[in-house]
Formats: sequence, structure tokens, C-alpha cells
Amino acid sequence: MKFSGFGYLIKEGVKNIWSNRMMSIASVGVLISCLLMTGAASLLSVNVTSAVESVGGENVTRVYLEQEVTDLEAVYITNELATISNVTETVFIPRDDAIKELEDTYSDAIFEQLQGEGNPLPNAVDVTMEDLSLYDTTISQVMAVEGVESIRDTREIAQKLTSLNNLVTTLSFWIVLALTCVSIFIISNTIRMTMYSRRFEISIMKSVGATDTFVRIPFVVEGMTIGLVSGIVTSVLLFFLYDIIMKTAQNIIEFSFVPYSQVGVWTTIVFIGAGVVIGALGSVVSIGRYLKKEGNELLGW
Amino acid sequence: MIEFRNVSKVYSTGTHALNKASLTIEKGEFVFIVGSSGAGKSTFLKLIMREEIPTSGTIIVNGMQLDKMKRRQVPMLRRTMGIVFQDFRLIDKMTVYDNVAFAMRAIGASPKAIKKRVPYILELVGLEGKSHNYPSELSGGEQQRVGLARALVNNPKMIIADEPTGNIDPEMSFEIMELLSEINKRGTTILIVTHEHELVENFGRRVITIDKGVVVDDTMSVSASES
Ligand SMILES: Nc1ncnc2c1ncn2[C@@H]1O[C@H](COP(=O)(O)OP(=O)(O)OP(=O)(O)O)[C@@H](O)[C@H]1O
Ligand SMILES: [Mg+2]
Repeated sequence: MKFSGFGYLIKEGVKNIWSNRMMSIASVGVLISCLLMTGAASLLSVNVTSAVESVGGENVTRVYLEQEVTDLEAVYITNELATISNVTETVFIPRDDAIKELEDTYSDAIFEQLQGEGNPLPNAVDVTMEDLSLYDTTISQVMAVEGVESIRDTREIAQKLTSLNNLVTTLSFWIVLALTCVSIFIISNTIRMTMYSRRFEISIMKSVGATDTFVRIPFVVEGMTIGLVSGIVTSVLLFFLYDIIMKTAQNIIEFSFVPYSQVGVWTTIVFIGAGVVIGALGSVVSIGRYLKKEGNELLGW
Repeated sequence: MIEFRNVSKVYSTGTHALNKASLTIEKGEFVFIVGSSGAGKSTFLKLIMREEIPTSGTIIVNGMQLDKMKRRQVPMLRRTMGIVFQDFRLIDKMTVYDNVAFAMRAIGASPKAIKKRVPYILELVGLEGKSHNYPSELSGGEQQRVGLARALVNNPKMIIADEPTGNIDPEMSFEIMELLSEINKRGTTILIVTHEHELVENFGRRVITIDKGVVVDDTMSVSASES
């Protein structure tokens, strides 16, 4: 294809948008809403996942050893616990350190008296797990180790967070899918309207021997431009809205959100990329049917 | 150039529009196609342009076998022919110049080629003074000359016209026919469907008569002007 002809077709595509501007603006609006909602769903998912991970990081399970276990034995047990497959880290907490920890936290004189011989606390090991969804299995493996007395059970929090994370991820996946379909549908409808208003020109193009590609390009350009504009506007909106939304969310529940700087580049790339791809898909979907028609059938006469 | 071998066309409605038609049209011929309404004349042209596909039989146009042709090869066939419509089919919001240039742009011609070719063709059809006018500012005859210019601009091997003078008055019709004759003299094959017996008789050309989908007559009419 000659480049000169190509330039003409791009110009035609942009002209299409202008001559069909009400529909173009409407579809840009709908597309922005869809992109924002899919973006919100994905970012919520990202934030919940990160929150779960950070809790997971703090969520070290404390394993209490039996009172008779000596410090030396405790070190062996610590190493043994480290060999369990889902366990990433084990830290031996001697009973003396544990009581000092309490003293530091509560700064109460009573803990001073409990140090040394009078210490009621057992030796303990802090166990960090890689995957919280394997909590049950891992805990039973931990309990099976000789010398382990009990654990501080954080299962409930872990389970709640994990299932919340799964729910949010699944939900946002479906939201993204549904809204992508809606976006494609909206764009294809807009393009179909332009095609309808351009059907006369299309019929003449076909009668003089324009290829399908040639007929198609202006409409694909139209769809992609609508997508591009929507992607850019959405990215700009998100840039301004992200911090506000996240801070509001933080007031409701305490969590540390992923800062914009960490997701900004990605969301911008994804929004613009998705906009352009959705625009192209939407126009291709609507053109196919039209191109197969000939002469008066195309014109609806 | 055009060859029909036992071509039949039955529309999905059950209408037998063409029945085992066989004929040959050579390069450089000037042919009138006549027949009563519903005889199958437009169907004949649509088969040549491959707007319709034959139910049976073989069609060869400009060396391409249409009944075996794939959809994506159709544009190449269309580029060998210029089509003129009864209702002109000009784009209202484009000037005369742009209407003609549109046909070149549609097949990817360079702006340079367009700039050179369009004025030449407009001069050929006698519209060099009207290139910046819009179709609504032209007479019927002038509009059809724009249609003709558009059909000619891509330098086709043949011109196909379905009742090109059906919407213009007799004097103008005569002018259009003269113009087509002129183009024919330069080597372009011309195929015209018409109802106007006077024109047919006046020009003394090959006349193919179709009746109820059958080619019933194929003769040279005696030209009043030439005899
Ligand atoms: N797309 C179609 N679907 C069904 N039937 C059709 C179609 N096009 C034409 N026909 C029928 O085929 C027959 C031949 O039609 P055609 O248009 O070829 O006639 P024609 O000779 O051009 O007539 P006219 O002089 O009125 O233009 C007619 O009976 C017509 O009703
Ligand atoms: Mg007809």
C-alpha cells in the first residue's frame, strides 16, 4: 500500500469522528467509565493482595515449645521447623527474650520480677509461612514436631484475608471481562453508525475496486482514536483521583495502600493499550458484516 | 473480454432472471443491451461486476473467471471496469473534483497522480470549468458527466452503464452517448443498458436483446447517421 494513500485514510478516520461527534463523545464517555471501573476493580485487587501480603509478612505464627525443652533443644527444633516446605523463616525466641519483649511493650515492673528462674514463658519459635492458604497443613506439620506444645492461632485472620483476597480477585476479573465486552459493544455500535452514514461512500469505493482493507482503515482509525483518547483521559483522571480514593479508603479501614508511583506507569500503559485494542476490536467487529454486502444491498435500497 | 457460457441466475426468491445465456463481447466493442422491464438486463451487468454470482455457467471478464473468483480478488476485477449509474451516485458534499478524485483515492493512488489525472479527465468530459461546483449545482447531464469522469479516471478497460440516460432529458442523453462513443474510439469497451430505442437506432451499434432471461436477439442496428 502506498503511504500517501494511507495518510488519506487516516484523515478520513479522524473526519469520521468529527462528523459523528455526538456519538464519538458519548462512546469516549462510556469507555472512560468502563476503563475507570475496570481500573478500580484491578487496583482494589492489587491493594487487597498487597495488604494480605503485608499482613502475611507480619503474620508470623508463634510456636510455643514444651516447658522442659532446653535452649539447645529449642535450637534444634527451630532448625527442624525450617525444613517444613511452606516455612520460609524460623526465628528462635528464647524465653528470656520473650519476657523482655513483654516488659518493653507494657513497661510494667512486674515483668522484671519474672525474669530468670521465675519466667513462666516457654521457649518459642516464630515461623513465617510462604503461602497462607496452606496454613492448616503447615500447622499440623509444625504440631507434629516433637517438643512443640502449642501455637498462637492466627488462622482466623489469615483465612478471612485470604478469602477476601480471592473474592476481590475473582470479582474484579469478571468486572474487567464484562466491562471490556461492554466497551467493545459500545465502540462497535458507534462505528456501525458511522458506517451507516458512510454506506454510500463505501458502496462507491467498492464499485471502483477498493480493497476491504482500504474500506476498513478509516473505521479502524476511528475506533482506535476513540480508544486512545479514552485511555489518555482515564489515565489523567486516575492520576488525580488515586490518592484521594485511597486515603478515603484508609480512613474506613486501616491498611497501607500501594502508592501511585508504583502503579501509575502500568495503569497508564494498560489504559491506553486497552483503549486502543478495544477500539480496534470494536470497529473490526462491526465492519465485517458490512463488507460482505454489495451494491444496493449495502445501501439498503 | 466478456464471455458468458450457459449462464443462469436464479435469485433466492425463485426468480429465473437469466436462463442459459451465452455470448461474447470483444475488446473495443460498443454494445447496447435492451429488453422489457424485468427481462434480466441489470442482472446481466451485476454478474459482470460480480455483484451477483451465477447459479450455473461460466463467466470470464478481462481474463478472470468470475464463478471461481474469491471475494478478495473482486477489487482487482472492479479496477478493470468503470461503472456508471442511472442515478449518478455522486457524493453531495464533495465537489466535482473530489467526486472524481475519490475513485482514485479509494484504490490508493498518490496525490501526485490524482492532481495530474483528474483535471485531464474533467476536461475530457467537458467539465473543466465546474470542478469546484457541487453536484446540486449541476444539471442532470452534467452530473452524469461527472459520473462518467469518475468511471473513467482509473483508466478502465471497459465502461458499464445501467440506463445512464434514464434520468436526463433526450438532448443531454444524446450528448452523453456522443461522449461514450468518443471514449469508445480510444479503445474502451462500452456496455450500455437502455430503454431508449431512438438512441440505439441513432448510434448503429451491436444490440443484444434479452427477454425473460434469454438472449433472443444479437444484431447490428443500422446507424441512421452512418447509412
Ligand atoms: N436481488 C434480487 N432478488 C430477487 N429477485 C431479483 C433481484 N434482482 C432482480 N430480481 C428479479 O429478477 C428479474 C430480472 O431483474 P433485472 O433487474 O435484471 O431486470 P431489468 O431487465 O434490469 O429490468 P428493468 O428494465 O426494470 O431495470 C426481475 O423479475 C426481478 O424482479
Ligand atoms: Mg434494470
